[in-house]
Amino acid sequence: MQRGYWIRSKPLYDSLVWQTPAVAHLVVAGGEGGIAVLKLFQQMYPKDPIQVLYADLPKAEKNYSDILQQIVLEELDICDSEESLLENLEQRLKDCTMGTHFYVAGSEAFMWQVLQKTRAAGVQDVDVQKELCGTLARPVYCVHCKTITRDVHHNVFPCSNCGRHLFVRDHFSRRLGAYMGVMVDAEEPGNIPQIEEVYP
Amino acid sequence: MSILNVKVADVEQVTDMVKHFTLVEENGQPLPRFSGGSHVVVSMNINGRIHRNPYSLMGSPENTDSYHISVRRQENSRGGSVFMHDGIEVGSKLQITYPVNLFSLSKLGKKHILVAGGIGITPFMSQIADLKRLGDDYEMHYAFRSAEHGAFVEQLKQMCGDRLHLHIESEGQRINFNNLLSNQPLGTHIYVCGPEPMVNALLLTAKDLGWPKTHVHSEQFLAPPIGDSFQVQLVKSNMEIEVPGDMSMLEAMEEAGLEPDFLCRGGACGRCEVEVLECDGALMHNDHYLSDAEKASGNKIMPCVSRARCQKLLLNI
Repeated sequence: MQRGYWIRSKPLYDSLVWQTPAVAHLVVAGGEGGIAVLKLFQQMYPKDPIQVLYADLPKAEKNYSDILQQIVLEELDICDSEESLLENLEQRLKDCTMGTHFYVAGSEAFMWQVLQKTRAAGVQDVDVQKELCGTLARPVYCVHCKTITRDVHHNVFPCSNCGRHLFVRDHFSRRLGAYMGVMVDAEEPGNIPQIEEVYP
Repeated sequence: MSILNVKVADVEQVTDMVKHFTLVEENGQPLPRFSGGSHVVVSMNINGRIHRNPYSLMGSPENTDSYHISVRRQENSRGGSVFMHDGIEVGSKLQITYPVNLFSLSKLGKKHILVAGGIGITPFMSQIADLKRLGDDYEMHYAFRSAEHGAFVEQLKQMCGDRLHLHIESEGQRINFNNLLSNQPLGTHIYVCGPEPMVNALLLTAKDLGWPKTHVHSEQFLAPPIGDSFQVQLVKSNMEIEVPGDMSMLEAMEEAGLEPDFLCRGGACGRCEVEVLECDGALMHNDHYLSDAEKASGNKIMPCVSRARCQKLLLNI
């Protein structure tokens, strides 16, 4: 990003902090997002009921389910995959009422999968606390073949479906939960800039 | 600002205090479409002075033949509502602004709870038409002092059926906001329009129960309060004007021939915001638009409803 230049759609993330007053709290984390949950539980707990949903993820460098089971004495549900976590979340959202606060932590791709579920339940993205953990890897949407490639680490990468070399932009779609990827050598086929790992 | 010339096609005395006016375009043209919750600002020439009051549109947004507004008679005010009651009859001509919506339904909502106190029912009449068209889940809670003050109850019963909940104060029925706001499903939005204590009580309850601000909507138009007169220097216009006690700063600027921006004229929308360059006394902020921090910092003022008590006030306009 250039100095003084800013793409409005680029999401910014914070650290999780308990939001009060509330009637209940639902915390959802995957993989390295576990560290944000541990940090949350170093703060003074709110008195309202707390539920935590967590899944170890195969791509994460570190997973936290063992530590969380020792630390989180509230209702903790360890799921065995991201898919089962999202299914579990969908069920729980049906019983949540207004006044429940939501917290999500993990990679960007993980968080926006969770946000699709909360949004479908009528929760606005801005009302969910979000903490980015572990990696800056981006989910990227190919504007040519409309495929989303998860965990992109480089400024330019080959689309997982059509193979075009895509340049990763900062433009972000909340609906799709992905950054925009556009063919980098459309005007001069084969002229591909130096590929660098900018989203470690 | 675009103006619509209308004439009064019908006047109906709804309750002792409330009159309902049907407005049609002067030349029989269709009126612009609007969305539920919109208002128009009606200009009135009262003894040579122009008053402009906002009124919610009550009709169905699908009806472009006529607009419907209702006015509650306010005896101890600056005369706009009394003028509408006593001075306007079938055939009277009026100028109104195009509709503006500061109180629209959230399209993301899964359920909508509408709460009205007294004449605050008016914006909901057009919102209900929208909700019925969208097929959304809603509840209409309508509180009023006593049976004879319940304007439009029969019409509401027809529109809402069992979604209508009446709360008649003289019969000991008050809305319990805590019960109303507890255990509502995710995605519920609440909308309130009515007297200030009622709106404030609801906003406070929503906050205490953890409702996010994005789900709580309120509309209150304030009449410009009467105060002491004061002098204002308008720097860009190179003018000094006096704001009389019974006139707002916005009206005083208009009297002086300026055309400042405005939309709601009730301290809600923020359109008329003016930068304060210097003030040697106290700004009396009466609006709902500026945050407490902005009010405290004293750099901005809403001339539609706010005043000042000072010797010297410089505005950047």
